[in-house]
Amino acid sequence: VAARGQASAQAPRTGPDLPVHEVTLDNGMRFLILPRPGAPTIAFVVQYAVGGVNEEPGRTGIAHLLEHMLFKGTTTIGTSDFDAERQLLELVDAVADSLARERALGRVDSSRVAALTARIGALEDSARAHVIGNEFDRILSRNGAQGLNATTTAESTIYYVELPANRAQLWFVLEADRMRNPVFREFYSERDVVMEERRMRIDTSPGGLLYEAHLGTAFQVHPYGQPVAGHMADLRRVDRAEVRAYYQRYYGPRNAVVAIVGDLDPERIESWARSYFRDLPPGEPPPPVLAVEPTQRGERRVQVEFDAEPQLRIGWHVPAPSHPDGPAIAVLATLLTGGRTARLYDALVLRDRIATFVSSAPGPGERDPQLFTIDAVPRAPHTPAEVEAAVERELGRLAETPPADAELERVRNQLAASRVRRLQSNLGLAFQLAGSTSLHGDWRETFERVERMHEVTPADVQAVVRRYFHAANRTVATLVKPPRPPEAVGGGHR
Amino acid sequence: MTRRLAGLALLVALAAACGGGLEAQDVGRRAVERLRYPPLRFDPPEPEVHELPGGIQVYLLEDRALPLVSVIARFQGGYSHYGRPYYAAGTAMPGLLRSGGTLSLAPDSVDRLLEYYAVQTTFGGAGESVFAAMNTLTEHLDTALEIWGDIVRHPRFDSARLEVWRGQELENVSRRADDPARLAFSEFNELMFGDHPIGWEMDAVDLSRERLSPERMRWLYDRLICPAHLALGVTGDVSWEEIRPGLEALVAEWAPCPEPLPEPPPPVIRREIGVFLIPRELEQSTIVLAHATDLRQEDTRDYYASRIGNAILGASGFSSRLLSRVRTEEGLAYSASSLWTTPVRHGGIVGATTRTKGESTVATILMVQDILREMTRQPPSSDEVDRAVEEAVNGFVFNFDSPSQVISRRMFYDAVGLPADWLERYVRGIQRVRPDDVLRVFRRHVHPERLVILVVGDPERFDLPLETLGPVTVLEIDGEPAATSPPSGSPRSPG
Repeated sequence: VAARGQASAQAPRTGPDLPVHEVTLDNGMRFLILPRPGAPTIAFVVQYAVGGVNEEPGRTGIAHLLEHMLFKGTTTIGTSDFDAERQLLELVDAVADSLARERALGRVDSSRVAALTARIGALEDSARAHVIGNEFDRILSRNGAQGLNATTTAESTIYYVELPANRAQLWFVLEADRMRNPVFREFYSERDVVMEERRMRIDTSPGGLLYEAHLGTAFQVHPYGQPVAGHMADLRRVDRAEVRAYYQRYYGPRNAVVAIVGDLDPERIESWARSYFRDLPPGEPPPPVLAVEPTQRGERRVQVEFDAEPQLRIGWHVPAPSHPDGPAIAVLATLLTGGRTARLYDALVLRDRIATFVSSAPGPGERDPQLFTIDAVPRAPHTPAEVEAAVERELGRLAETPPADAELERVRNQLAASRVRRLQSNLGLAFQLAGSTSLHGDWRETFERVERMHEVTPADVQAVVRRYFHAANRTVATLVKPPRPPEAVGGGHR
Repeated sequence: MTRRLAGLALLVALAAACGGGLEAQDVGRRAVERLRYPPLRFDPPEPEVHELPGGIQVYLLEDRALPLVSVIARFQGGYSHYGRPYYAAGTAMPGLLRSGGTLSLAPDSVDRLLEYYAVQTTFGGAGESVFAAMNTLTEHLDTALEIWGDIVRHPRFDSARLEVWRGQELENVSRRADDPARLAFSEFNELMFGDHPIGWEMDAVDLSRERLSPERMRWLYDRLICPAHLALGVTGDVSWEEIRPGLEALVAEWAPCPEPLPEPPPPVIRREIGVFLIPRELEQSTIVLAHATDLRQEDTRDYYASRIGNAILGASGFSSRLLSRVRTEEGLAYSASSLWTTPVRHGGIVGATTRTKGESTVATILMVQDILREMTRQPPSSDEVDRAVEEAVNGFVFNFDSPSQVISRRMFYDAVGLPADWLERYVRGIQRVRPDDVLRVFRRHVHPERLVILVVGDPERFDLPLETLGPVTVLEIDGEPAATSPPSGSPRSPG
């Protein structure tokens, strides 16, 4: 227990002043190391600058599938006899080649396709005799690891875990091994798992379906419009060799950023970083995103039919966060929906009571021009159209009259507090350091963006509303119930 | 790998020899096996316990790392002590304390003040307890404590804000079926716990204006939010001397609780088996299956064995049998986990849940039943037991990751009558578990042939008729049986 009467906490070093220790290896791999007081635990985040946007049409979902495959182990972890296993995996690939050729001839439903698919399953089952299932995960769990997981976004793939501070070296041994020697075993059953994940998050989720349709409608050229989870047809087709080749090209150290935050000795961590990762070949830069979404010429509307109550998403194309208008756009989101006194929450939820929920944010990535989306749940009997009209009214007010300075003062105070609050979590800090470096080249960048939000004036907010929030630049997605023949309503049984 | 640990003290001294033996860049399984870890230097922080006038306990953990202070008020008791007519008022209580204004401040004034000072508040609980928490920069502590204290002590229950809450909940009722997992869990709770607070599902009757009047809120407030039920927790950049005057002002002149909390009824958990279907045209089925058990959270060998057994069965992610079989080996599901609830005062349920495409629904249920059955037939391997124990022992330090976590846990233990050192006892208890203990506790408490099985999904897609598992009752989504399939012989115990 801390001594009583001790002086209060000093204003902590926040944002760009944090004592981050930066290390860049010759192969391009970057490490951000930050000691932080507290319980003896350490958070590890690895972020690869490869995500959904790097995929070509017809080959969506590869980054996400790879996210899963990197938990499958290595040439020594996850196997009892890798030589025997490798021979069977080569046979799996050989049969998969035949299947790909069959499909390329357009024979998607032939009996040969069914036979080849069954054969792949049988060979994978034989290989399983040599597999030690989930061994990578089990080693970490048994060492007390917490929160082992990964996530794939439009622009990144991020792996993370926390360990007791005395077991930090374990992370280096495991991570260097899976970067160097990954084995994509159990590939086809894991592909089935990924399809189940898609069914859960998107195909049976009204919010997931609406999100996918909204982005797909708003972005017709830029790959923000394609699903990170992948289209089901692409998932059914993708094979092991293709995914492995993709990994070998793009998941090298030059595309990797590691953030390590917690109760640590920076020099010790740096020496491990160098000794475990320096010999890896750098790999290629990620496939570039060359597509530029053209100016939208006219409002777009899309409806998704699903047996659920209505939901609404309205989006407007806005520039990338790095654009000079970026800070004002970020402030606008807080002004509209960041709290109970925020304009849209106050008008739609508290005053008019036509919605039960409203949120707003630019997305779905960070690097390229974004879609600023307002997401709302209408409250019956009020309709999505009424909610949409109310949103437009509020935006119209802002276009006409800039916000009061007191509203911006509230936003600034919240930013100041959040600067301190974000220092409370090792994992949260590690995510921010890795993300900022991977996406913007410098760990200070996202902190500095917050600083720039402090400079935003009421006139800046008004200007971005006028500039971007007009009808021709808008895409509206609504979830509606499918029309049903009366006899289909109700239970029945079989 | 490491042997099982003899006691908690050993946890930090484990794997004594540090460093050495490892060539740089040596990776893979052998390198993992050769790693030796230095001892973890760590003194678990102990909260100070103070007392305010009226015997109110204050748990305090000073932490000067950042200029932030958190205060939490926890009130034992919730709607479950007062019966169904108070279900909506009790559920609304935390949210309406926060949003409903105070006697002196209009609701929007409270909102504006809190947001101006960037005070974060969290109000929650409902069934068994209610809590109100706030987090502020130290520089605004006095102001924040005053506003937050006003909210807790002098709520207005503004009728317009009550109406907002009521409308949101009514909307929630009509959206209950939108998410198949939410629908499955709420229906399953109702099936298992019936008319008991655990099984209640909010409906339009609960949400009548009469049941949500400011008067009813006030009546319930007087009985729940009163000094005898209160414990306070403080963490962060403040000492007892510094916070004490503010807390004394908070509890000053507080009328005593008018009556002791009535005992909530013990749940009567369903004992009949059954197969239930909620037909929905979906590509993926949501499956929940479980039955009642008598095991409670207590310091017994069986309880600890049940926790280790549950981890092996399906509560420890990829290390568990359910996820290993259903997901990793068969590719049938993204998620699969066990459920084994062990409340302190009464029994709970044991079973599993997963989601799989319609075409593999029945096969997956049969597989889950098989995995349960194996647990009742063979003891787990000692490696499985060791793994589950080491996971908890080596990860013990994460129980102290944040000061507010330490404080909340201690407040919970004291409120429900667990010893203050429950966490330490737990870690010692699980280290004594042997494979035969797990087998014994599964044989005693887990009965794969007595499951209640609920599926939300599209029977047109199922691989086999659901009747394979027994007579099927089709549920309308308000929970009333719509029809029962014709008798098809005695329920089969598949596999």
